Formats: sequence, structure tokens, C-alpha cells
Amino acid sequence: MKDELTINNKVYTSRLIVGTGKYKSFKETKQAIDASGAEMVTVALRRVNIGQEKNKENLMDYINPNKYTILPNTAGCYNAEDAIRVCKLSEELLNGEKLVKLEVLGDQKTLYPNIQETLKAAEILVKDNFKVMVYTTDDPIVAKELENIGCISVMPLGSAIGSGLGILNEYNIAAIINQANIPIIVDAGVGSPSDATIAMELGCDAILMNTAIACADNPILMASAMKNAVIAGREGYLAGRIEKKSFASPSSPSEGNFLYDATKKKT
Amino acid sequence: MTIYYYSFIGMNIFINQEKKIVEDNINIDLLLKTLSFQDKYIAIEVNLEIIPKSEYSKYILKENDKIEIIRAVGGG
Repeated sequence: MKDELTINNKVYTSRLIVGTGKYKSFKETKQAIDASGAEMVTVALRRVNIGQEKNKENLMDYINPNKYTILPNTAGCYNAEDAIRVCKLSEELLNGEKLVKLEVLGDQKTLYPNIQETLKAAEILVKDNFKVMVYTTDDPIVAKELENIGCISVMPLGSAIGSGLGILNEYNIAAIINQANIPIIVDAGVGSPSDATIAMELGCDAILMNTAIACADNPILMASAMKNAVIAGREGYLAGRIEKKSFASPSSPSEGNFLYDATKKKT
Repeated sequence: MTIYYYSFIGMNIFINQEKKIVEDNINIDLLLKTLSFQDKYIAIEVNLEIIPKSEYSKYILKENDKIEIIRAVGGG
């Protein structure tokens, strides 16, 4: 049976979603995306630098929307109103696409989500028929609330954006996954491939990352490592791990062990 | 350099918060051509209202309009 992920009626075989920020060049961005095998990539929306960039290349020349699902992000928004404005602009920019990543931040130091504004924005966007994938904390109550509002995916942080601290609260992530009826995607915090594997072993449906790949010494090799780490974690989850035990259990059979002479009397 | 004291025709608009003098009654389509701007994936707001691409040739700008031209950039 094929193991596929469906988001907004589209089927994905890759469970790694990558960001396009912080790369040295668009060429490197493209090479890293290719190496990661990602089928969905995030972008941000910013002002055109009139006069200075008219001959410059455009990110969209490197990420063909016919090949990748473009997930516009409301990064940089600190209230619901701004986030909604960005979503509407992204819909226009992408010729009517309603898929968005909602991210409403609380402050610049932690980049933690502002939950009150996130909930407010989610409610309005869902009513306006946007397909909302929402960045949030690892709080199971908030995650459920966002699902109930009608978000199509809830994306809890593993740890702070760009921190590379990995999954700080596996129990919360697991609790969010266990109660959910929509895809749960760990967004933010992954630093190393093993972090990605841990998240996938917990049973999350996909992982979204940017910094861990873009800021690695060799982003293209790291993209490939992350691809393999996500696959390993997913297969490990599907295979079902063994129970943890406090005592050893030998891997080889004790039956037929000729090194032990049962006839020999104890001296 | 020629300075036109009386004959200059034009109006002030703000593009991405930068003041620009453009032709009177210019439409968005012509504005983009004037800026030699060819990006396919953009979104434009005039005074915080989104103007759909299909309206670019019909939408006439007026004095002091605030225009935002937005595009996709690298981000997480």
C-alpha cells in the first residue's frame, strides 16, 4: 500500500516541506529543494524593490508552481488583520490559490505565535474559504481549537523558529497527533536529521523546515539528509517500534546453545 | 538639463512608500511598463485595496494614490 499524504485534495509522496529563506542564491535554493524531494515549498510576501531589482532574478523563476505547491506564509505578521491582508495578497499573487500558512507572531525575540490573534485570523480566513495550515505552539488544547475552527492542518513548533533545538516536548506533540483528524506537521525547531526522525517516529504527518537546511554548512547535502531522515522516521512509525524494557533480552535463541552443559553438576 | 517650469504635466503617487511623479491618468498596466516591471507573480494594492490583474489596464491612478507592489520572496 502506498503511503501518501493528502493536503487540500492534493496527494503528496514527500513528507518534507521546505522553506526558501536564508539561502545564498536562488540557484542554491533550487538545488536544495531538489535534493530534499519536497513537493511543497513556502514563500514569504514582501515589497518589490522598485528601481533596484527590475533586472534581478525572481524566486518564482526557480520554483515552478506547476511543479511545486507554493505555500505562502504570513511571516512577519503580529496581528490578525495584517495576516489576513497578506493572505488576500497571496491569493491574488498566486492567481486564486487559497492555500496559506498562517503564522501570527507574538514578539521578535521568541517568534512564538500569538495564539489569540492566530485563532482570530484562522476563524476569519476559514470563513473566507482559505485553506489554512496554521503555525502554533505545542499546546494540545489550542491545536484542537484550530482544528475545530476548520484549519486543514495544524503545525505545532518543535522549538523556537530557527533555534535548531529539536522537539522539546515529545509528549505534547504526541498528544496533538493522537487527538487529531487532520494532518499534524511539525513546523520549526528541527536542527539535525535525527530531530526530523524523532518527529516522524512520533507519528506526525510531515515536517516543515527551513533554517536547518539553508544554514547548514552544505545545504544541499543537508537537504538530502533531511529527506532520508523523514523517510526513516515515517517508516519506523509505520513499522511500530518495540516496547521499552528495563532489562536485556537476548537477540539469539537460548535453545540449542551448546556452550552450556546441562548435565554438568554444579560444583 | 532642461527644466520645465510651467509645462510639466504629471501627478504624485507613492509606490511602496516612495514618491514618484508619473503621467496623469496613468493606468496600472502602463505604470508597470514605465517601471519596466515584468514579474508575473505580483499583487498590487491601491490604498489598501487589492486590484486584480484583470483590472490593471482599466484601473486609472489618481494623485496621491498609495500603491504597494508585492512579490514572493524566500521565506519559511
